[in-house]
Amino acid sequence: MAEYTLLIILFAPFLGAVALILVPNQQALLVRAVAAAAAGISLLASFYLFFAYDPDKGGFQFVQRFPWSEELGIAFYVGVDGIGAPLVFASAILLFAGIFISWHIKDRAKEFYIFLLILAAATIGVFMSLDLFFLYFFYEMSVLPMYLLLGMWGSHTKGYLSMTDPEGKKLRDSVGFIFNFGSNSKEYAAMKLTLFLSAGAVAALMGILLIYHFSGLHTFDILVLREQAKFSDTLSWIIWLLVFFGFASIAPIWPLHSWSPVGHAAAPAATSMLHAGVLMKLGHFSIIRVAFEIFPETTRELMPIAAVLCIFSIVYGGLVAYFAKDTKYVIGYSSSSHMGYVFLGMAALDYISLTGAVIYMFAHALATGMLFAMAGWVYDQTHTRDIPSLGGLVTRMPFVAGCFVIACMASVGMPGTVNFIAEVMIIVGSWNKYPVQVIVAVLGIVLTMAYLFKMMRGLFYGKLDEGYEHAHDATGFVNRMPLLLMIVCSITFGLFPGHFYDIVQSTVVPMLDRINQTAPLVTQASPGLLP
Amino acid sequence: MMTFSLTLSGSDLLLLAPEIFLTLWFCLVLAVDFSMKEINHKTLAYLSVGGLSVTLLNLIWFDLSGVEGALFRNMFVLDQLAIFFKIFIVLATILVVLMSIDYVRNFRVFKGEYYVLVLMSALGMMFMASAQDLLSVFVTLEFSTFGFYILVAYLREDMRSSEAGLKFFILGVFVAGLLAYGISLVYGETGTLIFSEMVGTSGSYGLAIGFLLIFAALGFKIGAVPFHSWIPDTYQGSPTPVTAFLSIAPKGAALAILIRMFYVALATFKPMWVLLFVVASILSMTYGNIVAIAQKNIKRLLAYSGIAQIGNVMIGLAAGTKQGSDAIMFYLLTYLFANLGAFAVVIGVSNLIKSDEIEDYSGLNRRSPFLAAAMLIFLLSLAGVPPLAGFIGKLYIFVAAMEQELYTLLIVGLVNIVISMYYYLIVVKKMYISEPTDPSPLIISTPLKTAVCIGIAGTLFLGIYPKPFIDWAVSATLMFSNLAGQTAATQSVSSLLGG
Repeated sequence: MAEYTLLIILFAPFLGAVALILVPNQQALLVRAVAAAAAGISLLASFYLFFAYDPDKGGFQFVQRFPWSEELGIAFYVGVDGIGAPLVFASAILLFAGIFISWHIKDRAKEFYIFLLILAAATIGVFMSLDLFFLYFFYEMSVLPMYLLLGMWGSHTKGYLSMTDPEGKKLRDSVGFIFNFGSNSKEYAAMKLTLFLSAGAVAALMGILLIYHFSGLHTFDILVLREQAKFSDTLSWIIWLLVFFGFASIAPIWPLHSWSPVGHAAAPAATSMLHAGVLMKLGHFSIIRVAFEIFPETTRELMPIAAVLCIFSIVYGGLVAYFAKDTKYVIGYSSSSHMGYVFLGMAALDYISLTGAVIYMFAHALATGMLFAMAGWVYDQTHTRDIPSLGGLVTRMPFVAGCFVIACMASVGMPGTVNFIAEVMIIVGSWNKYPVQVIVAVLGIVLTMAYLFKMMRGLFYGKLDEGYEHAHDATGFVNRMPLLLMIVCSITFGLFPGHFYDIVQSTVVPMLDRINQTAPLVTQASPGLLP
Repeated sequence: MMTFSLTLSGSDLLLLAPEIFLTLWFCLVLAVDFSMKEINHKTLAYLSVGGLSVTLLNLIWFDLSGVEGALFRNMFVLDQLAIFFKIFIVLATILVVLMSIDYVRNFRVFKGEYYVLVLMSALGMMFMASAQDLLSVFVTLEFSTFGFYILVAYLREDMRSSEAGLKFFILGVFVAGLLAYGISLVYGETGTLIFSEMVGTSGSYGLAIGFLLIFAALGFKIGAVPFHSWIPDTYQGSPTPVTAFLSIAPKGAALAILIRMFYVALATFKPMWVLLFVVASILSMTYGNIVAIAQKNIKRLLAYSGIAQIGNVMIGLAAGTKQGSDAIMFYLLTYLFANLGAFAVVIGVSNLIKSDEIEDYSGLNRRSPFLAAAMLIFLLSLAGVPPLAGFIGKLYIFVAAMEQELYTLLIVGLVNIVISMYYYLIVVKKMYISEPTDPSPLIISTPLKTAVCIGIAGTLFLGIYPKPFIDWAVSATLMFSNLAGQTAATQSVSSLLGG
């Protein structure tokens, strides 16, 4: 049974989505129960996965391989290493929490849960794929449900426009479609997100096809490719850049980030959670899985690009978040900014900083998930996301306010949360190589505090505005459980990071040994290669 | 001089069995229609589906038992490739007949003849798949188009249908002239009409012009740029089931001829025709996708999307390898299910709301979740989104092009995926995000639902488990295995193209 863990995690949401098709739309409770059951099975299995992963053995575990097409050299090949396992776990937590967060959706709830389950399952699929084809397959599959989730259950952004152009007309007509930063509709946000991510995916696909062709191995198997594929210098630079920028567009690295805050703002709460929590990590993860594994030398040569761009991500995202007036924009830009830390941790190519980067991805998933969940709650209660028009909600919703404080603390990296460990590791690990970036990153933390506390004050403290007297607190199991789940995970791993640290180390050390050329690749027998 | 031996043995007749059966069957349908005045046109439709199903089973039996052979001095050849395309055509025809049942009610007269003409066109296209000789190319191509000339203009009271018919007819006849002229030039240069006997002829201007003219005629059939001008108007004006038929079956049949002609007769001139296909493919994809963005009518949108899809298919032809032809054939299968499915939804919607405007698809998800979900699956498959069939088809074609290092073509193809995503999503947006003006639910008939369900099943199955179909395509083109060794010749061309 244990060897099928990954298949259970992956297929429980898919089968849940299929089962939902058969459930009649009127039976609202049954719809939610099926979705929650599917997500719950996935969560339990990923919990087991996370703790059963053996850090002493390292490498890829829970491996399953089924031939899919000999003609094209594709196998359905899944397995997790110390980077995949925590991310699978984080995806399952956010999916489960997201199902409960969106418990009150009335309009076409069945379709909502179907798309949400497909989105999460596809994301989980990327984190466990050991075959380039399936990595891309799941990656591209995760983009489309986003379009429908944003478009059908999202909300228009109004407050954002009022800053500059109340009508939005001038901006809408001036810059054209894609680069129209002024447009405020959810349809626009959804389309922009989908086209940006598809364009990025297509660039990465070009890189993958080049890998497939020029390795001459007639396989998409990452384990075979990383051991045997040899590329000329120019070619590996081209492929590396295609793969890096293709996947970094979802991460999102500056200057490819502009789809992301718009998308976050328009999305319903559960979608924002999954989007910021795990979908963005697909970028970092895929860069590590493809670029780091297959092109260790090129990674050493070209990773400084990320070190330069991450400064812009951190500063730009932080500054915009500080001045934004819309709760979801603040959190969205803060996510863009925080993803710069992950890039910094990756760019330093240091054991401590890369471990920190992986832990940060997990930590950020939980912290941002909480923030978006509560921003969604506030929006549901007040029907506005405009910070200046809100205030004093602590009297109406003390529980949510309390959780919000914890989430802000986690997001800025307070000791006791897992974010703290991650941030310290990134900063310590990259100090030797990139002192300037580290100084910027530390200032970025200060900036994070500034905008998060500013938003906290704007939402919950001060005078309660008229018209919000009827706002309710989160009460009952369904509403409180997802928030508590994320808080408990964040604090538990903050206080007891031992196992987490070990499993990430077990993968990061051999990977960096190869990149920094201190040790050759330790061959791991692939079931596909055995006679 | 050619001499024909017209004595057919029993085993020769066996090779023609599907065609002979279908000929007898459409005569039967016609006879039933004439003799029983009061017969419901539905009965005729099911009669046609029955005959087609028998033909399909016959062909599948051929495929499994490996029946092969050639007749009439190689004019008619039955090999795995021909069987593949015949199955493709028959399958498309079955789906089209199922979709037609609701639509044919709208015709004032000649309801029965409609099915006869569909079967006749299918028969012509089945012969096209077996054409191995330029004369039989001409005869079968005209035979299959003959039925379409009538079908396109079937809505006699509708001006647009008549216009579509006229456009299609005039251009079609013009193209027939080009084809005949091209054949005469090729015959003049080579002294033979049979593809396999042309191998190794030396190049000359006459030969090049001759084959360009033939390519133009076939390009007209598949709707490749610059021979596409008839497509949007004809697609929009024709009765929708005919549009669906026109959008898939003749393309398959013409591609069978294109593959045979270029892979067999012109194998030695590969570097030259690779360039031809690269250019035609880039033009078709880019033109089709960009113009599709501006469309307001779903049939026109699918028409332009079809032009773009043919551009994708020609990437496989440009690769010019066995893998390329395998990819084309697999791609056509994915296109069959997705495109016919999409047209089935269009028929369902237009039967109920009497409109083909994209605007009127607003809120389809609320009016008929089934139709909206089906359309979503078909459009996303056409756009190439996993886990749907179109994604595997596109990837297969791209892999084939990558193996030949056709970078320019690949980059254009990949950029076009993103462009096409935009207009498919516009339709999705209308169906799912926009609110309906009239929220009354839409209910479609059983035969149409069957066609849509077959489309969904095919699209999902080919996307999730394509192995059996890939293997089928691979085994159907075993005769092209020797083409794989000619990569060196293409590389010089691809380096010319900025590789």
